[in-house]
Amino acid sequence: MKTNYLRKLRGELEEFQARDSEIEDIINDYSQLYDDAKSTGKTDEEVIEMLGDPKQIAYDLLDTLKLKKEKGVKQKIIALTPFLSVIIFMILGVSYDLWHPGWLVFLMIPVTAILFTKRLKDGIIALSPFVSVVIYMILGFGFQLWHPGWLIFFLIPVTAILLSTRGKEIPVAISPFVAVTAFIIMGTYYDLWNPGWLVFLAIPMIGILYGNNVWKIIIFELSFITAILFYLYMGYIQGSWTYGALGFMLPVVVGIAFGEITITGWDGFKGKHGKKAFIMFSTIILAIAAFLTLGFALNGWAWAWQVFLAIPVMGIVISGKFKFTAISPFVAVVLFFSIGYFFNAFQLSWLAFLIIPMAGIIENA
Amino acid sequence: MNTQFKKGILEMCILSIIHERDMYGFEVIDTLAREIDVNDNTVYPILRRLTGQGLFDTYEKQTNVGAPRKYYKITSTGEKKLKEYESEWRTFLQGVFKLLGGITHENELS
Repeated sequence: MKTNYLRKLRGELEEFQARDSEIEDIINDYSQLYDDAKSTGKTDEEVIEMLGDPKQIAYDLLDTLKLKKEKGVKQKIIALTPFLSVIIFMILGVSYDLWHPGWLVFLMIPVTAILFTKRLKDGIIALSPFVSVVIYMILGFGFQLWHPGWLIFFLIPVTAILLSTRGKEIPVAISPFVAVTAFIIMGTYYDLWNPGWLVFLAIPMIGILYGNNVWKIIIFELSFITAILFYLYMGYIQGSWTYGALGFMLPVVVGIAFGEITITGWDGFKGKHGKKAFIMFSTIILAIAAFLTLGFALNGWAWAWQVFLAIPVMGIVISGKFKFTAISPFVAVVLFFSIGYFFNAFQLSWLAFLIIPMAGIIENA
Repeated sequence: MNTQFKKGILEMCILSIIHERDMYGFEVIDTLAREIDVNDNTVYPILRRLTGQGLFDTYEKQTNVGAPRKYYKITSTGEKKLKEYESEWRTFLQGVFKLLGGITHENELS
């Protein structure tokens, strides 16, 4: 366990591009701390709890680390990208009249900056809005798949979850997005809105699996399966979905019996984490509602997707470590797309991406 | 109590106990944890930062078992910093106790 713990810590420090000598020094210190704590009779779990989460340690040590010098080639590429973009854009426009979609070359500016200057994980997360926009545009303009193409924007929170969440918690964290995607696809292509909504039951069913009591898990899961089978039987065989829905009283009763469900209104969202969860939950619901409303009411499928960017932005804002640099990729995407799309000025709107390096320079100066 | 304030107090405590005698990392954590409610995993980053600021020197000492241990020793800069901290802290506490009405003579804390 010690080896595993130190390996994780080393990995986190390497992510920050700490110098090798610094990493060795810290690893040696933590190796000593581990042995000393263990010699007092603590278990491995207790020692690890005492020393802390490797990711948090790396963050706490950040201001004490001497970092590797950025490789010269990378910096040169970043500095040259705006000039290269202009040259390529002008050649494409003047020689081949490809002003559109030639402006896409300006995406090189933020993409190279993100890829070369940030931690790899952060770079991938920051790139996810760009990747999503490009795929969405291809699906929309190329195949008229604005709907359900908008589901591609789930890539943004899902990427962040996959790269920032502990392995065990990933299935729970991504289950709402997977459920919504499955529900929309089943509904759109197979008209299975009902009983397609049953996929949402996967969210509590996966959550329950993380309990400690095996019997409780089995009883809960069986109650769900029984209710689902009853619902399907009543709907398809007896032709009465309404009566079938009564079957869901079973998992509710089981939940109340085990004390998992308490009828206390908003109490579930109390406390610091509860408030954050409530804000995120509300943001997701509002974003989906706003997107669908704008899409159906104003046929705004081409631009309404931008409301989904509010989800990761809100996540950053309430994380307590707010920096404009962190949300600048999202702000830049909105400005870039809105100015380009509504004013037909993609040739100019790419300038919005300059916000990202500028924010970084101002905040880190 | 805000985090910065807590960190400041913790820095002063760490400087103070190492001023008493040289200590190795776990000893510092253990000594602090026995006296005050401290989050163990915040201590090492502070130790490292203060060492980086020149408030501590480190040296290795052979042990009976395993690898040699790294010991922390306060420097003259560290001693100066500790005095500053103690002075600020005493003034602060005197003010607080005055406000609370518990202490009337300023020198009772010094």
